[in-house]
Amino acid sequence: MNQRDLELLSAYLDGQLTPSDSARLESRINSEWELASALDDLRAARTLLRKLPKRRAPRNFTLTRKIVGQNPPLPRAYPAFRFATVVATLLFFFTFGLNALAPQLAQATSFGMGGGAPEAPELFSAAPAVTEPPALAQAAATEAPLEAASDLAPQGTALPPSEESARVMDTPAAKSEAVGNADELNQTEIQNEAPRPAPIIPSVWLTVFAIIAILGAIFMAAMRRSSADRWK
Amino acid sequence: MNEQALITDAQNGNLDAFNTLVLHYQDSVFNTALRILGDEDQAADASQEAFISAFKNISSFRGGSFKAWLMRTVTNACYDELRRKKRRPTTPLEPDNDDGDEMDSPRWLADPNMTPAQQAEADEVEHAIQHCLDNLPLEFKTVVVMADIQGMDYTEVAVAIRVPLGTIKSRLARARLRLRECLQGFAELLPASYRLDEGGALSASK
Repeated sequence: MNQRDLELLSAYLDGQLTPSDSARLESRINSEWELASALDDLRAARTLLRKLPKRRAPRNFTLTRKIVGQNPPLPRAYPAFRFATVVATLLFFFTFGLNALAPQLAQATSFGMGGGAPEAPELFSAAPAVTEPPALAQAAATEAPLEAASDLAPQGTALPPSEESARVMDTPAAKSEAVGNADELNQTEIQNEAPRPAPIIPSVWLTVFAIIAILGAIFMAAMRRSSADRWK
Repeated sequence: MNEQALITDAQNGNLDAFNTLVLHYQDSVFNTALRILGDEDQAADASQEAFISAFKNISSFRGGSFKAWLMRTVTNACYDELRRKKRRPTTPLEPDNDDGDEMDSPRWLADPNMTPAQQAEADEVEHAIQHCLDNLPLEFKTVVVMADIQGMDYTEVAVAIRVPLGTIKSRLARARLRLRECLQGFAELLPASYRLDEGGALSASK
């Protein structure tokens, strides 16, 4: 008996042979004891396997939406709200940024029209922090003549600092310097008090964009929540 | 149960429809996994994985036998489980009997309708068959489990494991013969009604 015979016997047992093949095999089984014995072996094994007790599943294998990662279906309007919210948020930040840069842009424009380099110090004088360098320069300028004056004064006649400075101020060079410094300070104050340039985009648009973004976010959250509730 | 309608609904994402199919097939799926893997916990894990995979891929089902398609999924899950087991071998925890010894055949899923004697007999047979099944090469075991334990026809088995019909016939014949030889070694252990006589015929089948 070869492998082919074994396959034929197994298929015969399961009724998988054609009637003609079955008839031919049956005649061989009747004449060949080896085939008959092998058929009995196969039948015995199959019967035992079929007798194997069927176990019940130890638990239900039903799936939950969480297991399969299913999300609740969202309303059709949801993508529109999402789009509007995203666009409004982007526009809000763009507008905010543009308006924040408005003073610098305005000054840059004025440099372009007025000739730039000579007026450079004015650019910095707009901010309160950068008014310090002229003041320091003024103090340094005051100290230099002071030293020169004290050299001219007779030895041993030390004057109080206030009188000394009064004397220094009396010199023509110091007077003209003091006048120049006062002009600079006045200019700085004037520039500080100058009105801020108007925002490029009216601030009402900022409010509109912010409201759209916030309302869109609220509506989206509500839609998700109501979809999740309905899903349950 | 209108299986085709449930499949169509499941393909449209209806989880409740799919769960109806799960409840219908879960015992078959679990038994197939149990006989291939020989371990109940692993079989339960493989069954769960198989159903998850089946739901995710149900759109690929194009008709024919749904059971065969499902069996292909569970077979793949079993192969994955075996590969995992090979990488990280574990020692199974068997429940203890009254004497504190490990039980060879767990009885916690025993059929409550059986008498203790019938249950013991069934346990012996099950243990012997499972032992012989475990000694079969995997490709033989898969075929014999589907054809003889699940009662699927050759075509369904061929679809389930994606091999030609001729290969199914060959594997099944050789698997049965090997099982017969293996089970003869348990002849003394098997209860009388299950014993294989000298001529090869089963006493119970006479």
